[in-house]
Amino acid sequence: MRVPLNWLREYVDIQQTPEQLAERLTLLGMEVKGIEQWGADWRSVVVGELLTVEKHPHADRLHLTTVNVGSGEPLHIVCGANNIAPGQRVPVALPGAVLPGERRIERTEKMGIASEGMLCSGDELKITTDAEGILILPAGTPLGKQLSDLYGDVVLDVDVKPNRGDALCLIGLAREVAAATGAAIRWPDIAVEEKGGPVGERLRVEVKEPELCTRFVGRWISGARIGPSPDTIQMRLQAAGMRPVSNVVDASNYVMLELGKPTHTFNGAAVNDATIIVRLAIAGERLETLDHVVRDLTPDTLIIADPKGPIGIAGVMGGADSEITDATTEIAIESAIFDPVSIRRTGHRYALRSEASLRFEKGQEFRLARLGADRVAQLTLAWAGGSCAGGRIDTSPTEPAPARLAFRPARVSKLLGDDIPIANQRDLLRRVGIETEPASSGVRINVSAEPKPLVVDPGSAEVLVAVVPTWRRDLAVEADVAEEVARVRGYEATPAHLPDTLMPAYRPSPLKVRDAIREMLVGAGLSEVVTHALVSPEHEARLKWPVDGEDRPIDDPEVGETIVVTNPLSSQHSVLRRHLVGSLLDVLALNERQGRADVAVFEVGKGYGRAGGEPREWTRLALLLAGSAQPASWNRAPRPYDLDDAKGLVELLCRHLSLPEPAYHADERGFPFHPGRAFSVSEQSEHEVLDGRVAELHPDVTAEWDLRSQRVIVAELAIRGLADGLLPRVYVEPIPRFPEVERDLAVIVDDSRTAAEVQATIARHGGELLRGVRLFDLYRGAPLAATEKSLAYRLVFGTNDRTLTEGEVDEAMAAVRDGLAADLAAHIRS
Amino acid sequence: MDFESLSADLRSLQARALKEIAEVSDPASLEALQIQYLGKKGDLTAVLRGIGALPAEDRPRVGAVANEVGEAVKGALAVRGAELHAQVQALRLASEKVDVTLPGRPVGRGTLHPIPETIAAITEVFGQFGFVVYEGPEVEDDLTNFQMLNMPPDHPARDLWDTLYVDIPGHLLRTHTSPGQMRVMQTTRPPIRALLPGRCFRYEAVDASHGFEFFQVEGLMVDEGTSMADLKGLLDEFAHALFGPRKTRFRPGYYPFTEPSVAFDVECVVCGGVGCPACSKSGWMTILGAGMVHPVVLQYGGIDPERYQGFAFGMGVERIANLRHAVPDLRYYLENDLRFLDQFR
Ligand SMILES: [Zn+2]
Repeated sequence: MRVPLNWLREYVDIQQTPEQLAERLTLLGMEVKGIEQWGADWRSVVVGELLTVEKHPHADRLHLTTVNVGSGEPLHIVCGANNIAPGQRVPVALPGAVLPGERRIERTEKMGIASEGMLCSGDELKITTDAEGILILPAGTPLGKQLSDLYGDVVLDVDVKPNRGDALCLIGLAREVAAATGAAIRWPDIAVEEKGGPVGERLRVEVKEPELCTRFVGRWISGARIGPSPDTIQMRLQAAGMRPVSNVVDASNYVMLELGKPTHTFNGAAVNDATIIVRLAIAGERLETLDHVVRDLTPDTLIIADPKGPIGIAGVMGGADSEITDATTEIAIESAIFDPVSIRRTGHRYALRSEASLRFEKGQEFRLARLGADRVAQLTLAWAGGSCAGGRIDTSPTEPAPARLAFRPARVSKLLGDDIPIANQRDLLRRVGIETEPASSGVRINVSAEPKPLVVDPGSAEVLVAVVPTWRRDLAVEADVAEEVARVRGYEATPAHLPDTLMPAYRPSPLKVRDAIREMLVGAGLSEVVTHALVSPEHEARLKWPVDGEDRPIDDPEVGETIVVTNPLSSQHSVLRRHLVGSLLDVLALNERQGRADVAVFEVGKGYGRAGGEPREWTRLALLLAGSAQPASWNRAPRPYDLDDAKGLVELLCRHLSLPEPAYHADERGFPFHPGRAFSVSEQSEHEVLDGRVAELHPDVTAEWDLRSQRVIVAELAIRGLADGLLPRVYVEPIPRFPEVERDLAVIVDDSRTAAEVQATIARHGGELLRGVRLFDLYRGAPLAATEKSLAYRLVFGTNDRTLTEGEVDEAMAAVRDGLAADLAAHIRS
Repeated sequence: MDFESLSADLRSLQARALKEIAEVSDPASLEALQIQYLGKKGDLTAVLRGIGALPAEDRPRVGAVANEVGEAVKGALAVRGAELHAQVQALRLASEKVDVTLPGRPVGRGTLHPIPETIAAITEVFGQFGFVVYEGPEVEDDLTNFQMLNMPPDHPARDLWDTLYVDIPGHLLRTHTSPGQMRVMQTTRPPIRALLPGRCFRYEAVDASHGFEFFQVEGLMVDEGTSMADLKGLLDEFAHALFGPRKTRFRPGYYPFTEPSVAFDVECVVCGGVGCPACSKSGWMTILGAGMVHPVVLQYGGIDPERYQGFAFGMGVERIANLRHAVPDLRYYLENDLRFLDQFR
């Protein structure tokens, strides 16, 4: 809310500088987000007196003027307005002046005659909305003065929180200023001179929905003359960010800003039968609102109607047909209280939220219906004349007494962690208008409110009763009183100490495994990325990923459809990703555009899906390797990333998670992967699981993503514990006491045999003395046949209770050789 | 053969050996000399073969001379050996000289992303005070994200959280980590000290200081006497841990799920409190919102608000990271330009 300080001073004295006041308000909970110098954009605009006004010799519509600006020679200024006359005081923009909108004024020539500046209209200064005439200043305005010194103001931008609808107005903020500074509040003197006959003869009101319109106050003014509001009023409204419209509409807006009471003024002549009906709309009814949009009204919309049909959407916006126009003389004033939820729903339904509806939504003080109607009538009479009918229409004239809220001062102290004496608490509350009185016997304490109320018997605890001011609709439970005490007292008075209460039980961090894997991969040369969970629906299409593949993560085997955002900000981020690979390809594409070819990244992140109408989330590890594994260096040849690098990482992960050495299974299903360079891996031990696919990207997918890298290695792995697990414990084997024996074996097999088959066969036939098998060479070529390859393995033998004899190892090697020959038709190169 | 001639032979052998040893120029020749003079079949042994012809009383005298000669030759061999070794090593070391100013062979190490790292920094501080980490779902239900946090449908405060909805009825993308409070309270009993880091979503256009995806860390502490003073003490420790010794302040704030609510400010990290554009000339920067858990929220969490009280706080991870690392643009975090990420090595 924009608060012009000169306007605020009408209601409360302010001794502080704007900065001091801003800080006091902020520390009281009315956060001042900005301090604006209103009028700071009138630079070199001064008050001048018109000495002469003559016709321009070459242009009918222009005048030649001479203007005294208080010092120096009178200026010669050409002016196009018709409302000027000698003797008037007017704003003069001197050469070099800058007006709102960064408009620069220079010495010019108009139709052959030099003009040494410009006379300004209210619109040009954004003081009033009059663009036709020059702004005529009061006769006594001091000559030569900078306009900003006279009419400028300081405007505070106050962030009024949603629970404090009562402070969305100058009176409300004046109350906060008073609480902060101890100054007294000055209410405007609201009194209506009633010259007309009884209002009942002019206006009838029927409220058909008393639940949704708890009070309706109406007044009637006859013989008003529509025109602009006084300049000072227009300036106030402009400074507060509200565009002046006409005296009657401005009166209504002025009261909304002053008292926080939205009201509506109808052209009384356009209200059929002078009868206002508050009811729900009927299906099929339509209304053209003030913004000239024709709206179809739904039956749950509360409307203002006359006997012929709708004339306004209650609390949100009036109808165009009953709008105040220049010809209007009869004015019907509506000052009502509407149900906040109904108004909020209506605003959302029509995507139409006004300053009025924002205030209704937060709830209104009941008496404001009466005060608002009177104040609008008073200001209308003052600014537009006419006569006001006697009395008000009031559907609910009984105004409720203040609510009473019992609280235990000791509980307030306990919540704040400081012993605040009862007398202090009472004084603090009094500063925000909350009187306290002793409790009667049987009083109950509201500890918690709807929708989970808890009312308790205070027992022997000392209890006070807070008399809640009628404007404070936000005070409902004991803790609300504590907040008032705390904020008025100031939090600088709250002590700070570390908790000395019980500690919770140990709980291992769910981030443990994740962090260990992150650290490990960074050590292995990869960089961590964090990407958007919301992606384009194109992602999966561009990956050509099978819709229902076996790439389902182990965390949730039931992952189903993609979750779609129903109100996305952009189509680029409109679905929740199921896979992370697409996100990493986006990262690669972005960095390639920046000229980075070598990209090795990983993300530990979530995939999302929907199954059985319920959302599912799972955590996975994704990797992407592109470009050089080893960038060229003067002391090293470059080497591109290939699938083996990804395998190395998978093997590292398996070791880290105490999983067996991983076995790779060819995955020839294709998209999004190269069918000949993809594998799945699935390893588990008692507590750990690692499951997923590792592959080079299919060249069509690389092209689809416009990637420059020819080969991109990706992996997406589900790892149990990634979401909330612990690293496995290591169980130590005793260090062997007896030496191990190593033997090498070169196995020649048909090319179609996989390394995994050969290794498994060796292991199967190696007997219990065989401790390890490691491939150390792969050879194709002469003297082997074209369909053959040679795999060289180093076998390690050993046992825990003795040194092996040559004979034992020979025997085991013979078994391996025989097994390889029998199972794989392999022969052994010697 | 007599003693005189034999000892003369030994002396001449010594003279010859010392001369040859002095003249030798490589370790292999030196070793040959050692064998030639001192070996089992060497010259010294050969000369001593004549000792048997001497009278018994002369034999020890010749032995003494022979020892002297042997020791002299051995000593000369050792001295010359050391000299030759030094010469050879010097040559080798000179030939192996490298330009040590050349750069090394790169050891690849990547970088950790500042978002998880900032979360780690935050959880580390609160972890010291007994706070344990929990996580909640990102696709939340309206009940937990709003209603149980004291925002029934049509509550005006819902405007503070512009929400992204999904095609699962009653569900949305959580707008804050606060629903995690409910999940903690519903699964554990006081004393509670919990931290909830995670991703959040809002319907918010992207610019240098806004994004539709961002990260928060929520904190929750509930026990019989947990008070605003505890909150203030802990947050002071936190601010000092992350931003050094700076002034801090509490000021009233507003959240429907805390009562009283506060905002926690630290002295501007840019200007030190004098006032600058970064802090809107106020000298303060707000780093989180907090407050005492609203009794309605405790009730929804199954905790008796008459017996227990507690506080909650929530902070934007990017906000903390921006202040710690002077990151100028929020978009850097999820864009993953390596020119940004590389700086965190
Ligand atoms: Zn600053």
